[in-house]
Amino acid sequence: MFPFWEVPAFTSGIFIALIASFHILPSHLATGAFWFVTYLEYRSIKENKPHYMDFIKKFTLLILIFCFVLGSITGVGIWFSATIASPMGLSALIHNYVWGWATEWVFFIIETVAIYVYYYTLGKIDSKTHLKIGITYAFASWMSMVVITGILAFQLTPGKWLETGGFFDGFFNETYWPQLFFRTALMFVIASIYATLVASFIKDKNAKGDITFKASLFGIAGFILMVLFSVWYVYKLPGVPKSLDFGGVLAYMKILNKMVIFSSVIVVGYLVYCTIFPRFTNPVISIGTIVVLFLGILGFEAIREGIRRPYVIYNYMYSNNIIAKDVPAKGIKAMGEKINKDGFLSTLYLIPDDFRKITPKNRLEVGRIITLYQCGNCHSMEKNGKIRPLPRYVSNLGMNAPEDLAVFLDVLEGYPYMPPFFGNEEEKLAVGSYLSTMVN
Amino acid sequence: MDLASYINSLRDPAGVPFYPFVFQFLMVLTFALHIIFVNFALGGSAIAIWGKFNGNPHALRLSKALARATTTNISIAITFGVAPLLFVQVIYDPFWYTANTMSAWWTLGFLALVTMAFIFTYVGYLTGKSNEKGGNIFWIIMALVSILLAALTMHGLSEEQLHPDKWKEWLTQTGTLKTSGDALYAILIPRLTHFIVPSFAITGIYLMLYSWLFRERKDFSTEYLDYVLNLGVKIAFYATIFQVAAGFWWLLSLPSHLNFIVNHAFLFGAFLGMALLVMLAMAQADPKKYIFPSAILGFVTVFFMSYARETLRMAYFKGVNYTIFDYRVAVDWGSAILFFGTFIMGIIVVAFPAIVAFNLARKGQQN
Repeated sequence: MFPFWEVPAFTSGIFIALIASFHILPSHLATGAFWFVTYLEYRSIKENKPHYMDFIKKFTLLILIFCFVLGSITGVGIWFSATIASPMGLSALIHNYVWGWATEWVFFIIETVAIYVYYYTLGKIDSKTHLKIGITYAFASWMSMVVITGILAFQLTPGKWLETGGFFDGFFNETYWPQLFFRTALMFVIASIYATLVASFIKDKNAKGDITFKASLFGIAGFILMVLFSVWYVYKLPGVPKSLDFGGVLAYMKILNKMVIFSSVIVVGYLVYCTIFPRFTNPVISIGTIVVLFLGILGFEAIREGIRRPYVIYNYMYSNNIIAKDVPAKGIKAMGEKINKDGFLSTLYLIPDDFRKITPKNRLEVGRIITLYQCGNCHSMEKNGKIRPLPRYVSNLGMNAPEDLAVFLDVLEGYPYMPPFFGNEEEKLAVGSYLSTMVN
Repeated sequence: MDLASYINSLRDPAGVPFYPFVFQFLMVLTFALHIIFVNFALGGSAIAIWGKFNGNPHALRLSKALARATTTNISIAITFGVAPLLFVQVIYDPFWYTANTMSAWWTLGFLALVTMAFIFTYVGYLTGKSNEKGGNIFWIIMALVSILLAALTMHGLSEEQLHPDKWKEWLTQTGTLKTSGDALYAILIPRLTHFIVPSFAITGIYLMLYSWLFRERKDFSTEYLDYVLNLGVKIAFYATIFQVAAGFWWLLSLPSHLNFIVNHAFLFGAFLGMALLVMLAMAQADPKKYIFPSAILGFVTVFFMSYARETLRMAYFKGVNYTIFDYRVAVDWGSAILFFGTFIMGIIVVAFPAIVAFNLARKGQQN
């Protein structure tokens, strides 16, 4: 096991959640915007409408800054945050999908070159060549989505990979196509909202109305498709995740579902408003809608993470980075049996040497370390912790004797959203002792 | 369990899907491309600041151009940085993940610093866009400071990886396991210097290329372009002298048991560095003749310096019995072909906008 990074009260996963959720905005804007932009540029060439090009220049600058500064950095940031919060989980994805990621990187290069050249040559080269650069960008950016969706979908539904270990068996898994279509529709929605935001600054009412109307139609079409594809997406989810809330056991999942629905209603309401009153939009309302959209995305991402519980890669690796199942085709062995036999401490090297043997003197501290490794990815250790605080959960159990809590560890497996505890009897007692300090 | 078997136990159980030397080559190559653009960004913003205070109108114009170029250079540096970041996780995962989790806050800090550098550069560029005197240089200074701090952080994270024998001491010095991720444990100034100084050599060469690129343009005077060319060749030359000195300083600071002084990759890299120095010395008299030879030799030197650093890493890791060539290989031809096919297609596709931009820069606006 790698060293553990503890984030008091919030757990390290909070950084992945925030960065990954935020990244959806610039990444989907980057992939969706140019289908609209190139359409407008085409109309501008055909019908000689220079106000379209004025808008395109401003919109492209927004994309350049928002997507290629914050989008690029948060994209890399997902890797960095996963590195420090779930190193083995990321390592598993990297080692199976390195060529997938490398392929996406090629499209990222095309995107980056194309967007800069598009922006800096706007109005300086012949319009048809310029439009072709825009189309190149639109296509390359969407292709990066085509590739990355396979890796993201793999985390939730690894498909036949669990049996064959094959790249494409995991890539084209059961939720790949619904996810790709869903994200494609979502990118149109996100791009249209940002387009209406940029258009809201246009002073000429006719130009503003024209562009806002077109952008919002583009977004409404995306929204309708997104709803249809989300139904397909949920339909394709495997058994337990399909209920979206573990059959009602997890109340917070219900709240998240409501958050997504609320956000969707506001977003579609805004888009409808823009089609009816395209000349009367303003930046404050548009930004407000983007904030609500972000909350919806946050909820959606939390659901996606939640329904995967207790795994970081479904049916393969638990969220605490312990491998759950054999993958014979890859020569991978589940870790549980060995840990139960040799002890969890056998997987740790970077601990004080005198912690190798549990004694009455070090029991609490060793218990704390094992608890951190096995529970700390999802649970905060503080009484006033904000993310699933362990002291509160232990207190709800109504037990406080170390021995009782040690026995309780054996029944964790009974919870569908919890990984089993792995370790020998001595270690269970050490964890039990540590947990008992949370309630005593 | 000893340290070597612990480190080897951290390798991903899936093994690697292609021959490790291919990942290694791609890592070194893409890192060289990445560091060149990091160098452009760092050296370019430093010269932009100098140009603003210099008082010479040519220097001011150059300052403005470099401030604008820094936005693109950071963007390309990030784009090229993704690839070595990917490949290092494939072949050096035990070291990469350990260093980052040990110093997790610094990893996040690195992200914040790069974001700030990028935003400051854009603010500097956009505020100076329609101003003859250029933007407020404060933003470019802030951008440069952010880039330097980001470089320091990434240097620390890399240096930590090279000392697995100290990991336990670092993490257990309090008597228990340290999980706060708040410390950066290793900094080696000579190594950091060897990364920073080339920024000026590379930017000097960049200025030489700049003077060539805009030579046919009517809106660029010969005096201005000659000024930039002469400035570029001087900066490149003096920076390379410092770079050679920094290289020897670093070499002397290395543990003697590595015996790096007789390492073939190092010797070749050092030879190229010396050759570049000689060429830049010759270029002082008639820089126009040496623009392309200097650029090509400069880039080849950067590549082999990166390669030499990679062999140094391999020498360090021998001490813990780790070599990438031991990684279990299960070749996945399908996905490898997907990448290499896309890569070739990508070069062809990228050529289109790149040629358009090149022609526009070279000849100026035609309509």
